[in-house]
Amino acid sequence: MKDFISVSPLKVLERSSEQILGPGNLGVLVARAGVGKTACLIHIAFDKIFRKEKLVHVSLEEGPDKVASYYRVIYHDLLKALNVEDDHEYRELLERNRMTLAYINQSFDLKRLQANLRNLTERLGFRPSTLIVDGLDFEETEREVFEELKKVAGEFEVEIWFSALSHRHITETSEMGIPYPVHKLDDLFTIIMQLQPGQTGIFLKLLKDHDGYSVPEGSMRLDPNTFLALD
Amino acid sequence: MDEIRKLRNIGISAHIDSGKTTLTERILYFTKRIFAIHEVKGKDGVGATMDSMELEKERGITIASAATHCEWKGHRINIIDTPGHVDFTIEVERALRVMDGAVLILCSVGGVQSQSITVDRQMKRYEVPRIAFINKCDRAGADPYKVVDQLREKLGHNAVFMQIPIGLESELSGIVDLVSMKALYFEGPNGDEVRTGEIPPSMVDEAMLKREELLDAASMFSDDLMEAILEENPTPDLIHEAVRNGTVSRHLTPVFLGSAYKNIGVQAVLDGINRYLPSPPDVKNAALDIDRDEAEVPLETDPDKPVVALAFKLEVTPYGQLTYLRIYQGSIGKGDDITLTRTGRKIKVGRLVRMHAEQMEDLTSAKAGDIVALFGVDCYSGDTFTSGGLNYTMSSMFVPEPVISLSISPEDNKSQTNMSKALNRFVREDPTFRSYVDQESGETIISGMGELHLEVYVERMKREFSARVTTGMPQVAYREAITRRADFDYTHKKQTGGSGQFGRVTGFMEPSEESAYEFVNQIKGGVIPTEYIPAVDKGFQSCLNKGAALGFPVVGMKVTINDGKSHSVDSSELAFTQAAIGAFKQAYIKARPVILEPVMKVSVEGPSEFQGSIMGSINQRRGLITSSTEDGDFTTIDAEVPLAEMFGYATVLRSLTQGRAEFTMEFLKYSRVPRSLSEELKANLRGKSRGEKKS
Repeated sequence: MKDFISVSPLKVLERSSEQILGPGNLGVLVARAGVGKTACLIHIAFDKIFRKEKLVHVSLEEGPDKVASYYRVIYHDLLKALNVEDDHEYRELLERNRMTLAYINQSFDLKRLQANLRNLTERLGFRPSTLIVDGLDFEETEREVFEELKKVAGEFEVEIWFSALSHRHITETSEMGIPYPVHKLDDLFTIIMQLQPGQTGIFLKLLKDHDGYSVPEGSMRLDPNTFLALD
Repeated sequence: MDEIRKLRNIGISAHIDSGKTTLTERILYFTKRIFAIHEVKGKDGVGATMDSMELEKERGITIASAATHCEWKGHRINIIDTPGHVDFTIEVERALRVMDGAVLILCSVGGVQSQSITVDRQMKRYEVPRIAFINKCDRAGADPYKVVDQLREKLGHNAVFMQIPIGLESELSGIVDLVSMKALYFEGPNGDEVRTGEIPPSMVDEAMLKREELLDAASMFSDDLMEAILEENPTPDLIHEAVRNGTVSRHLTPVFLGSAYKNIGVQAVLDGINRYLPSPPDVKNAALDIDRDEAEVPLETDPDKPVVALAFKLEVTPYGQLTYLRIYQGSIGKGDDITLTRTGRKIKVGRLVRMHAEQMEDLTSAKAGDIVALFGVDCYSGDTFTSGGLNYTMSSMFVPEPVISLSISPEDNKSQTNMSKALNRFVREDPTFRSYVDQESGETIISGMGELHLEVYVERMKREFSARVTTGMPQVAYREAITRRADFDYTHKKQTGGSGQFGRVTGFMEPSEESAYEFVNQIKGGVIPTEYIPAVDKGFQSCLNKGAALGFPVVGMKVTINDGKSHSVDSSELAFTQAAIGAFKQAYIKARPVILEPVMKVSVEGPSEFQGSIMGSINQRRGLITSSTEDGDFTTIDAEVPLAEMFGYATVLRSLTQGRAEFTMEFLKYSRVPRSLSEELKANLRGKSRGEKKS
């Protein structure tokens, strides 16, 4: 799906210094409720999957059926938007390259995640390059957990993408302009992006890019319905 | 009408070993239909009353659904007992079809397990409102709170406690009713006497909190209750009405709890059935009018309208065939004439009975909404009966295609006769069970939904029909499908004296995802006369039973004919059928056929420590793991696995996990067999056919 990669929200990284997040690193997408964090994360997942990389979707709130149904809905919208008729090859990529690890009823802990990733690698030969972690509550999670997750990223040579929920009424930011609730964690994240609704679409802004905080031209406009890059 | 409103047709569905047979037994005891209590795996050798088949009694599981009747506080309740094992899906689905509501039993230790998910999914499909009963609260490790969370998380129910337990595990002594805010204790030798008392002081705060949750959830379904809550006066009647509205509309699942074995909480479940589950008129039912192209016709639970009834279950008894009927509309009386829609044959109603497991009560008539049984009626399961000239059929049930087959042969002459009788009976009882004679090998083949499904029928043959049979290895139902378009242009010509045979067909075949077979006629100018077109279609269809690649049935093919030729004297239907057969053979191999195999959706659940071993075992079976879900100490692994690789998996899983994991599977789709295996399959089949020729 070359067409997709050319309009994927991850295209914003073309404007970053290294153009990827990279193994061992953490990336986060900050947005208010209802702006489309999960949809955007799933687009990041598609970007990886269609590049024939393996991906693990870690869900901390929803069961695998719900996750699969999110992917299904976004996938169909994508096919429609890109006018793809024969999707056989993409369906196969999606089936073979995606795995969901769900942790429901507060079952998530780091040791479990590590054991699960080890099982995937050793038992199934499934070696992901990316982890998508959806539903981690940044307000309630201790800094140590993120430090440990960074170690997990290093140990398994994966890049990990998170979504973080911000609030309209909390305007706190770090010195470098990183918004709540990532403002005190910005040293742990290699890429920080913000999703903001605007009048002409949804804007994906690159707030932190590896070592740089101010990213010139680091903003991209997305279609509010499909989350595909418009610029 | 008031009488119908006090009728409940309910099912009791659950995971195997959750205690549904025990609950049913206790219900029958408390409603005074039986006068003694037995255990399921009866130490007293009697067995629970609802387990009507010998085999079930021995295994301690329920296979066939049986309907039984009881009365509780002025309400009549028909209970349809349903099997918990997923291999008997058709039994469950058929029972769900005729019930208006259900009690979903969950084990307070095991919680929502994979089979509960399958059964719940089936209930959703048939839109059955349900209440939940968390059983076995007296067992070590009982945690009803966790189970309610699982009901919400895993099954998506808006579950709400109607009660909370007083003590748990061995300390379980009663329940607190959150509507009346009273403690209920079940006293006397069998818990017959319900004593009401004050809530233990240590539980008052928790009870208040849970009642708040109940009121919050229930008030969504009643404005009156919402107002009463604001005025701080929610009466029990208002709460009951709101919970009933929520339950009937399938937006709320009231949760009861207790221990059927210890006789705690059963009477409260009966009250719940009366209060919250729908009566027949509360449920919409429809039939299909055969005369109007199967247009849907709503049915009314009105005893004065013409009869529409569905035969949902057949049973052989020592007195003859017993047919269980759900009457949707009208009334049936002894001596009445009713029509079997499928054949148009009129049947006189002889003996009409109401069943209580293996005992029966004779009736003179039965009305819309009721479930009764007829004696001596020759029909199939799923047949519709009507009166007054109605040509209706109840909408056809979802019947999956069998995915597994095996050969059976009788060991002696007597068994041969008995085997035929048994097969004849089973085919009528269960649409997912098929039987036929393979024309090439002459063997009798039975096919069904899984290994256990067929195993049970083989055992029933031995036990109920004294047919001793030997079985072959299970065989997977492979299919063939073409992968590309191929053209044909075939002329069938024969001149052997007298009138000859001539027919030419031209066109193409191509893969179709829409249907198993599609025939498109694009002939213009009558080059093939219209009267011969059906013969061409018939010729192509005759080739579908056995594909030329490996002899498996062909699916997913669209055939288009666009040209041809006929002869004024020598053309005939036979000639065009032969021409189509020739055309099929000409194009089929060019269309690159591949072999398809059934792939099952498999769900394995076990303690998390076994995740790696379970994943490995699935991976070895060409399985594609789609997800792994951690919930407490348990992991559920969902995968897609070819059926051919699942034989004997139960044993492997048991030994891998010390018997602590279990799995369910159901048919998902047909998928292409990998090339290497396809070659192996071809070689095996060739070897087999050479062997047969030699012998």
